[in-house]
Amino acid sequence: MKKLHDLLMKENSFPLLTALLGAAVFAGGCMFLNDGFGLFNDASQTAMLLVGKTEGEWTTPVGYAAGFLIARVLEGPLVGILDIGGSMQTGVGTGMVALCQSLGLTWITGNFFVSLIAGALIGLVIGVVIIAVRKAMPEGMSASGTDIMMGVGNAAGRYLGPLTILSAISYSIPCGVGAIIGSVIMHKLDKPIIGGAILGAMIIGAFF
Amino acid sequence: MLTILLKSLVIGALAGAGVSAGAARMFHAPEIQAMGAFRTLGELNACKGDPVAHFSFGLGFYFSSAASVVGCGGVTQDVAHRIIPNWAAGLLLLKNKKVEETLYDPAKMMLVGTVVGAVVYSSLTLLASAVPEKLSTIAAGVLTPAANNMVNLVMPILFWLGALDAGKITGIWGTVLGGLTQLIMGNAVPGLVLGIICGKSIEDNGFTKMVKIMIAVIVVLLLVIGQARGFWAKALAALAGFGL
Repeated sequence: MKKLHDLLMKENSFPLLTALLGAAVFAGGCMFLNDGFGLFNDASQTAMLLVGKTEGEWTTPVGYAAGFLIARVLEGPLVGILDIGGSMQTGVGTGMVALCQSLGLTWITGNFFVSLIAGALIGLVIGVVIIAVRKAMPEGMSASGTDIMMGVGNAAGRYLGPLTILSAISYSIPCGVGAIIGSVIMHKLDKPIIGGAILGAMIIGAFF
Repeated sequence: MLTILLKSLVIGALAGAGVSAGAARMFHAPEIQAMGAFRTLGELNACKGDPVAHFSFGLGFYFSSAASVVGCGGVTQDVAHRIIPNWAAGLLLLKNKKVEETLYDPAKMMLVGTVVGAVVYSSLTLLASAVPEKLSTIAAGVLTPAANNMVNLVMPILFWLGALDAGKITGIWGTVLGGLTQLIMGNAVPGLVLGIICGKSIEDNGFTKMVKIMIAVIVVLLLVIGQARGFWAKALAALAGFGL
């Protein structure tokens, strides 16, 4: 226990942590592709992978996630806290999984053990890069515009709620009514309406 | 069902170990590099080392994560940002109220986080796998068109307006690169993201070495991807039809 504590309090053990999380989020993304659930991300990123799964078009998740990954990896060494939302959960869990799919590397995403190893390696590289940037450039590297990009990216998720209600209404009348009721309840509870829209459509739709 | 449980236990344990140790290191940042999020740090501090506060904070997000994984298959970012670190902290604090010896200790947080992660993640995936076929068909039928609209219309428009609002230079770079990636790759988002970063960097610092390298990489990428997708041949064929 003391040894583990000392190891984990060292600056250089950071890539170990990113490797652990990288393996998990990458394998979670692959589980979403294979089983339909398990992605370490919110509805909007899930929607991007869903489009890839149904249409075979992976450009959006790759581009969107790459932007977040770059921005967070540049910011991480500077502030001392790597934001795992943009870098790991979106960047690796959504983006790298989509990248593998778009390159046709289904032997990676289709196999649980290979996906764990691939995710760990990607995480390890990210961790090493961050420690290297910290050592080489103490004042940090910066790219302008990442704040604009991330602001827009985060705002995009909000649009999925109303879009889901519209889509539920054109799917069937009961589903549409369910989506409206679910959204109202979620909004009343100060939660994003998207969850209520989907669950409402599912619950009411189940009876018809 | 059993394979899903086993896979989920492994994934959840790995995530829990990494996230919890990373969260404990946040209390020692920036001296050592940590991972998590500033809001996670703030929320952990806000619970003031009270186990009940940590549990109930995580519980609220657990319910919305459960709703999300049933509806769309994503467990939400809150699992790693909020539920795992707060529940791991809450469990440790039950035995010892001193945060310096519990929440701030990456080794203890890692061990407890491994268990918490495995339980949280596999309970969510098992819940999603128990959803009847008819319900998941409805969810996919509702969500897929919404996702298509989001990816093909809403996101390009939002990023485009973001680029235009950020100034003349950024707007021009965004429009050119966004238009090019729409032509070549079928979606404008990657180009708009790159255009915003390039344009804003030029606006702030001029044509630095980093910007030049970035532009060179983008040009090579567009050429290679265009070739792979047969865009250049199609473009030449379309332009060959020029006539008055």
